[in-house]
Amino acid sequence: MGERGYGFHGKVLEIDLTRGDARALPLDPGLVDLYLGGRGLATRLFYDAVDPGCDPLGPDNVVVIAASPLVGTSAPTAGRGHMVFKSPLTGFIGSANSGGTWGAAFKAAGYDALVLKGRAAAPVYLDISPEAVRVESAASLWGLDVHAATDRMTEGAEPGLRPKILAIGPAGENRVRFAAVVNDKNRTYGRSGPGAVWGAKNLKAIRVRGRLKTAIKDKDRFQAGLDQAYHLIKQAPVTKRLMRELGTAGLVELIDLIRMLPHRNFMDCSHREEDLERISGETLAKTLLVRPGACHACPIGCQRHTRVPGGASGAGDEKGEGPEYETTVLMGPVCGVYDLSAITRANYRCNELGLDTISFGGTVACAMELFEAGALTADGDDGLDLRFGNGAALEPLARLTARREGIGNRLAEGSRRLAAFCGRPELSMSVKGLEIPGYDPRASLTQALGYMTSPTGACHLRGGYAVSLAFFGGAKEIPRFSLLQSPIAIRNMQNLGILQDSLGVCRFTGYAFAADPWSRMASGVTGLDFSTARLEEVENRVAVLERLFNIEAGLTPADDWLPARFASTPIVIDGRERVVSEAAMEGMRRDYYRVREWDAAGRPGPALLRALSIKERRP
Amino acid sequence: MTGKDWQASEELLGLFQSLGRASLLVDLQDSHSGNMSVKWKDRSGREKIVITATGSQKGDLEPSQICFLSLDETDYGHYKASSETDVHARILALPGVRASFHAHTKELVTATFDDADKPGAPAAFVPIDPLGWHVLGGEVPVDWLAVPSGSFEVIETVPRRLASHPATVVQTHGTFARGRTLPEAFYVLNIANTSGYIARLLETIGVDLGRLRTAIRADPAAHFAYPPSPYETEGDDVCDFPDEEEILKEFRKTGNRVFESRLSPFHAGSISARGVDDLLYAGKGAMPRDVGGPLRRLPIAAAAGDPEELRRHKLIYAETDFQTVMHCYQPEAEALAHYRYPGEAEPADRVVPIDAEGGFLYLVIPVLPPKVDDAEFLAKLHQYKVVIVRGGGVWAVGAQSLSEVLHHPSSVREICLYRIGAIQRGLDLRKMEPKKAQKW
Repeated sequence: MGERGYGFHGKVLEIDLTRGDARALPLDPGLVDLYLGGRGLATRLFYDAVDPGCDPLGPDNVVVIAASPLVGTSAPTAGRGHMVFKSPLTGFIGSANSGGTWGAAFKAAGYDALVLKGRAAAPVYLDISPEAVRVESAASLWGLDVHAATDRMTEGAEPGLRPKILAIGPAGENRVRFAAVVNDKNRTYGRSGPGAVWGAKNLKAIRVRGRLKTAIKDKDRFQAGLDQAYHLIKQAPVTKRLMRELGTAGLVELIDLIRMLPHRNFMDCSHREEDLERISGETLAKTLLVRPGACHACPIGCQRHTRVPGGASGAGDEKGEGPEYETTVLMGPVCGVYDLSAITRANYRCNELGLDTISFGGTVACAMELFEAGALTADGDDGLDLRFGNGAALEPLARLTARREGIGNRLAEGSRRLAAFCGRPELSMSVKGLEIPGYDPRASLTQALGYMTSPTGACHLRGGYAVSLAFFGGAKEIPRFSLLQSPIAIRNMQNLGILQDSLGVCRFTGYAFAADPWSRMASGVTGLDFSTARLEEVENRVAVLERLFNIEAGLTPADDWLPARFASTPIVIDGRERVVSEAAMEGMRRDYYRVREWDAAGRPGPALLRALSIKERRP
Repeated sequence: MTGKDWQASEELLGLFQSLGRASLLVDLQDSHSGNMSVKWKDRSGREKIVITATGSQKGDLEPSQICFLSLDETDYGHYKASSETDVHARILALPGVRASFHAHTKELVTATFDDADKPGAPAAFVPIDPLGWHVLGGEVPVDWLAVPSGSFEVIETVPRRLASHPATVVQTHGTFARGRTLPEAFYVLNIANTSGYIARLLETIGVDLGRLRTAIRADPAAHFAYPPSPYETEGDDVCDFPDEEEILKEFRKTGNRVFESRLSPFHAGSISARGVDDLLYAGKGAMPRDVGGPLRRLPIAAAAGDPEELRRHKLIYAETDFQTVMHCYQPEAEALAHYRYPGEAEPADRVVPIDAEGGFLYLVIPVLPPKVDDAEFLAKLHQYKVVIVRGGGVWAVGAQSLSEVLHHPSSVREICLYRIGAIQRGLDLRKMEPKKAQKW
């Protein structure tokens, strides 16, 4: 057992929004030993606090945000927070992670985790500092977009101690099922719809400030890991240079090169070269980029601070952040759009309104296919042409969606509900109801299995960022089409993601190194034994707990499956037609369960729970 | 000898060409020296000697440079065949022997030099590495001969030695090795030269070879992890997973790199990748691209009678999440595993990189004793991803790919070479090692 005070403050802040009270509870040090922090710790606290059968938009849903032992140290990228909740989009566990600065500021306020329960009678915001925790009225903030609310809440800040704001926009207030929670105005806890859960709780924002340090137990050990990590980050091309110069959008042409870039709601992966050049990371860097930026403690610096000049359309000159790769692809080629300005402006709107750009893009693409198939008509007064390729529709659709106006009210439900409403459920390109990101699963069986088995639905971050290993993983490159290797490869990728999320660090560090330096840093900070073998136990423990919650929330193996399009409609790679056949899905799913030591129905059994020291749900 | 013979033996031609190239890749000889031979039945069922031509360039053998000679009479082919043909013929006449490989093997020849007055009776070479010890039968005879190449003395001495040993050295000249097949003879020859290299490295880093050899001879089992599996002469073209195209390609690339980068002698060591129930296994890990070795798909569950090499792969998969495993008999690591810091009685239990790249990739590399138990072996492997077993080679694991696991022993080789170089230069390793490494 580690000593309290090293790596952690030893405090969990629990706020009951129904009653409007807050209390600081001691953090059970045993939980740190077992779950580390961030995603692991948040998942455990969430699992213990929530009824899995609850209405995600009801008062019984619980939101947990946790920091990690590395947050607040100089560990590279260690400033991220992790949020866990029941997703209104999927009905299963929601798990979202964000960079920016809020996570580090929250920990500096003296807490390791925040548990939000109940529902406020009227809109509120929380004000958290080492000295006090207050639940305040948000009447004057409700209705403001994220940027305006953030500006309002930082007005008159004490010099040198600028508060950090985590807020929802109108999308969250209106319970759009893929609404995001945003910090630093543009860094989002995006996936699975946390913003809708906040909105349903009448929680507009959380303001944090503090200067408390994270104490380090064994500085030499920590420094050893730190030195190693920084060396490798400076050595790996992606982390030392490419992300800063091109941002994640630099992947657009690379992913197309391997025929994995989706097009028109994943109908195919075919693009004209000149079209892609118009939206590439290189073009972004040459035309819209003002400067790169970085999250807390990040030496990589992938942020795109951009400026879109006014044009003939009458749109004004605008500044903002983005687009990232996923946004570029989902609001771009997946909608048949190759207009970088239109994508970027729509990205700005999503940030302001508080929308997940991946699910928004995926839902719009679904709507476009439905529209072209005659299964959806835009409501009369919207006046929108929803055919593929109409970039001009993106911004108005974002506004309508966030406000649930006209056709936006349908889009606000996400692609699965939209497609089902229109009688064409097969046109939703989602898993468990979460829209698929910008990597076509037919181009990598490992990525396909990652989408299928991700606890949150089709998420490249929670499901395993397999593509990063398949094509630019250096020595770790894995075969794309191996049925044999995919189950273990994706388990290992998912586990690395759990580790990174539980340490509060960025996925992109994985381009430079895996667990070893983190093991030294985590052990050094806490004084606990976080050898790589013990970290693997933590990873497996968290994966099992997420699975347990999902099963209790109603998940069956049928939910671990891809949309039929990927089995029936081939894409062509190197002259060969590629699908993810049902037999392949069946076999990979079976093997994945076995790799995880789950039973044939995908359930972790009692022996595994005992082996991983997972306590049963509290009665 | 006729040109028509070749048309019936493209496979044999390919093998000569491949092993000729391979022998140069690992620097067993100069471009035109050495020779190799096999016994071969022609279409009429008559046994012949097939042997390289004299002065042929082994890296690019042409069909015309492979000679087919009568076993029982002198024919015109002897004009063109190797000047060592007579000794090869005598070797091939030994019971059970169907192949013979001769090369100058600089490392072993150098390791068996002495400056004693001649004529003399040099001591046999005693390997101190596990492959050398087991495969070469504990020693390699060394003979001083007044005319050390092509002479009647050679013809008389070498086959006599090979009757009881798989390899023998003619002092200052080279090594002769025999086998049931040409790959087996090459396997023996490559291991013998590597043993010589390791012995020379040990001298370079100040290890008392005489004392070590005495200790090994007194109790060999205590000094080596386990013997390698007996060399299989058949099945090199077996592949149980032809449908796994990408992995198959990776196996071939990786095996080739292990060989070409000298991470293991020819057909030594092993490589695997796991599935859920099966592992894909190359039991002859160091495989030149155009020679290959058996690629098997085996149940991952431990089975009674599993060879120790395979048992360890299965053990790692049973107890960890790793997806790839590699075992190499990496000579520099084997030598450095015996290194003692000045004034210390026991060999060091870790290799600390002194080069920048190595130091950031591996803070330390554990050196484990030959008889390390499974729990300690797994724990160290889990924590460090690569370990050196003194008398047992280098083991490495990868979370994802064969390429990843290959990187470990390849890096270890570099790390060891830097340390050995620093010792050669008389530098103080302790001063060069990061202080922190002493705590890791």
